[in-house]
Amino acid sequence: MEGMNDRVKAATGHAVALDGVSKVYGKGRRAVAALRDVTVDLPRGRFTAVMGPSGSGKSTFLHCAAGLDRVCSGTVRLGETDLTRMDEKRLTILRRERIGFVFQAFNLVPSLTVRDNVALPLRLAGARVDHARVREILTRVGLQGREGHRPAELSGGQQQRVAIARALVADPEVVFGDEPTGALDTMTAREVLTLLRETVDELAQTVVMVTHDPVAASYADAVLFLADGRIVDTLAAPTAGQVADRMTKLGAWA
Amino acid sequence: MRFLVLNSLRYRRSAFAGAFVALFCAAALVSACATLMDTGLRGSVAPERYAGTPVVVSGDLSIDLVKRKKDKEKIKHKPVTERPWLPLEIADRLRAVPGVREVVPEVEIPVYLERGSAERSWGHSWDSAVLTPFTIGEGREPREPGEIVVDAGAKPGDVLTARTPTGTRDYTVVGVTAQRLASQRSVFFAPEEASALARPGQAAVFGVFGTASADDLRAALSGTEAEVHKGDARGNAEFPEASAARTRLMSMGGALAGTSLVVAVLAVSGIFALAGLQRRRELALLRAVAATPGQLRRMLGREALIVALAAAVPGALTGLVLAGTLHDAFVELGAIPPNLPLVTGFLPVPVAIAGSLLAAWAAARLSGRRTGRVRPVEALGEAAPGRLRIAPLRVVAGLAAVGGAVALTLTLASVSTDRGAGPLTPLTALVWTLAASLLGPPLVRLFAAVIAPALRRTGVPGGLAAEQLRTGADRAAAVVAPLTLVVALGCTLLAAGSTLDGAAEEQLRDGIKAGLVVGPEVPARDAETLRKLPGVEAVTAVVRTTVRTVSSPYSVQGITPEGLDKTMDLRTVEGSLADLREGTMAVQERLGMALGDKVEMALGDGTPVGAEVVAVYRSGLGFAQVTLPYATVADHVDDPMSDFLLVAGQGVTGAEISAALGGAVGVTSASAALPGSSSANYAALGLIIAFAVISLVNTLSVATLGRGREMALLRLVGATKGQILRSLAWETLPLVLLATGLGTAIALVTLNAYAAAMAGGALTFPGTTYAAVVAAGVLPAFAALLLAGRAALRPRPADALGVRE
Repeated sequence: MEGMNDRVKAATGHAVALDGVSKVYGKGRRAVAALRDVTVDLPRGRFTAVMGPSGSGKSTFLHCAAGLDRVCSGTVRLGETDLTRMDEKRLTILRRERIGFVFQAFNLVPSLTVRDNVALPLRLAGARVDHARVREILTRVGLQGREGHRPAELSGGQQQRVAIARALVADPEVVFGDEPTGALDTMTAREVLTLLRETVDELAQTVVMVTHDPVAASYADAVLFLADGRIVDTLAAPTAGQVADRMTKLGAWA
Repeated sequence: MRFLVLNSLRYRRSAFAGAFVALFCAAALVSACATLMDTGLRGSVAPERYAGTPVVVSGDLSIDLVKRKKDKEKIKHKPVTERPWLPLEIADRLRAVPGVREVVPEVEIPVYLERGSAERSWGHSWDSAVLTPFTIGEGREPREPGEIVVDAGAKPGDVLTARTPTGTRDYTVVGVTAQRLASQRSVFFAPEEASALARPGQAAVFGVFGTASADDLRAALSGTEAEVHKGDARGNAEFPEASAARTRLMSMGGALAGTSLVVAVLAVSGIFALAGLQRRRELALLRAVAATPGQLRRMLGREALIVALAAAVPGALTGLVLAGTLHDAFVELGAIPPNLPLVTGFLPVPVAIAGSLLAAWAAARLSGRRTGRVRPVEALGEAAPGRLRIAPLRVVAGLAAVGGAVALTLTLASVSTDRGAGPLTPLTALVWTLAASLLGPPLVRLFAAVIAPALRRTGVPGGLAAEQLRTGADRAAAVVAPLTLVVALGCTLLAAGSTLDGAAEEQLRDGIKAGLVVGPEVPARDAETLRKLPGVEAVTAVVRTTVRTVSSPYSVQGITPEGLDKTMDLRTVEGSLADLREGTMAVQERLGMALGDKVEMALGDGTPVGAEVVAVYRSGLGFAQVTLPYATVADHVDDPMSDFLLVAGQGVTGAEISAALGGAVGVTSASAALPGSSSANYAALGLIIAFAVISLVNTLSVATLGRGREMALLRLVGATKGQILRSLAWETLPLVLLATGLGTAIALVTLNAYAAAMAGGALTFPGTTYAAVVAAGVLPAFAALLLAGRAALRPRPADALGVRE
């Protein structure tokens, strides 16, 4: 945890910075612009939610910010590292060392136990697995005693907790979530969001989450609203009501 | 990464079971073939006739041919196909060696003991009975020229009509031996009679008794053609033809093993590709949480190697058993002699394991490139994996394979020896199949676009099927490939044999101008008798043997040239058979020999001869590749009797001929004149077809079992089990049509090239054979589909959907 404390002290400026990022799918007449000239800083040690209606480009935003997809123009920086100039292999290594992911579903390799799923990024990196660290993370997400289970033996909420544990295990600079509560019921979703909130408050973790749920967005420190590939609005310290209100208006812009 | 590999193997048993079965079969086939090759390499035939002889002295059993390449001269040693005899004076040299107690000359006289029979016995002098040794079991030894001793089938006092090269006469059986040899019949004559019947002044071998060392004997024989054999090598001296059978085992085993491995690569890469599609999301997830494409490829490669190892070890051991079955089949087909026993060593096991590992690795490489490139974004969200783009590299590889196949086809169209076309034919079909399977996805997509409107018209299941085809081209291609393989290879192998046989029959039918075929095994004197028979215009005697040039062995017919134009039509293209005499020859076209060429060759017993080509003809399959005068070959074959006589004449009847020849031989059907068929080589490859059918069933099962979720979803939205199975069938039907079409096209292209070079263009492929091949592929395919479909439908739909992928 020392590394994180160091980061808290150095918590100035951005964790991820997008500068003039555009992304176009397809070519010629059938080209669709998913992101248009997006410039934004995602602050370190904060919980940022990205919202927008379907087709607004929020998934593309996440993919580009996390180095999962390539941008057409502009730059994406993780800390001071320019992702746009890296090849696939270096991007992969960067992802496993400095970025964590939580997806909506299918987060876990079904053939591996909870413990092995959490340790997966470390093992793929060829690092020696610190079992105490894995246990500690699993305890933090409330899954002590489940280390030997397989994903199919867990509930949906528990599976998402394992995914969060895995995202945190390599002590990443940013955790990206793509609708991490999208497949969960309200109660379970609340537990998972609380867990994400705690990692920001207690561990000074940076979290960036794409969602379409105003309640989920209300757990964030700030909300970015995307429409038609552009950031059209931001909201600090939001409540669910405010977010829902803005979303309704977004419909008019879109 | 080992933890990941082992876990996923344990977890995805069904997909890997498919690869396991394919690799198991491949390992079994390869180890069986390797055992056959081992037998070819190290196998030896035990002596029978010479079992009681410590040292056997024979003629030179290898043909030495000088290969000239620019300035270099290289001597090639090939086994003789007919026994070279030695002058009797050799015995004097042997007797002079200290320690030699006795030297027994041996003669071998072909004898046919029954009227009209082609079952040959070997006649010897009773003096040489000691070589085995034979003893009298009943009666007494032969003393007079008219007396014989047989090994079975008659009793003292019986009178037998025997045909020998010198003619037909009656012999009285005076004794029966106490022994019988396993692979040959034996007859003993009184010593003077044996000398009269055998080649004058020569012996087939000499048996040497005493304490003289082989080296001393060799020293005494230096400067002669004679060879000294002791121990197991005596078997080679007794059966020089076993050497050719061993060569044949090597080449057939090699071709079979190689083909098996290529089929295994095709089958296993298909299954791996399917498994890769089915676990795409899992692989995407691994990519997202930080596995590099290289790591994924290595993981897939290791999985493949572990499955291969698990399958290859029991497979290779099973192959040792299979080798016995194959050996029996080859013996049955006459490809190898029964007295060449299987050599069972353990070397084939590691060879087969290594081969299977290599095949699995190649398959993983073929399918892994694509699977390893899965985009990490595909793990995100609920969205189904995006439309797969056709990999440009795969198309390039596919086009390269097409290029290779075209080149092979053109080569095949110019190779007119069995030795060359034998392995080239299945290889050509395989490379075409490889090209078709590499280009499978675009082919399927094209085909789907063409037939979709027709499918939709058939109703709900048909409409569903059309959609599935369009979107699942990759999966469909993995199913099309093995069925294409079955049809292409099956048709090619079976029709290659029937084409050759059909062309041979046709050439023979058209080529025999004489009204009557007389046989079998006619003494030379009988031909003379017939020539004098009133009404007979011409008699052509034919004896079959082989010759060898430095580049290839050829089948030979030795014929009596007089009156040939009335008896035999070889379809002369150039020159004239009227010029056939001592020192000249006629050859089949496209053997690389042209009119006027002076050809150096060795007769079957190794005797060198030179001959000028005076005619080039077409009907080589029905008769022989090379035609020589009878007199040129008669003294260099084990059995100088005519295989058959062609008799042309006005109003001559079979009864007259039979009467003139004392009834020992008579008029037979023309088909008796057919040269031995080479279809054994192709039939042996039938095992490959069985293997291809297994892979087909395998692939279809894996493909269908992997669709449980999709079928569950269809049931939840209201499709009945019956509708889903019908939709599966509808979906498979076009694939079957496509695969059958592709396979047939591949077979036709390959076979046309083959027939053009080997059979003068005529393709013989009975419709029933074709139907059988297609049925052998299609019926198991549908059975596998429906069984796997039912199994996939067994879980309750809600449960099936709940299974996390």
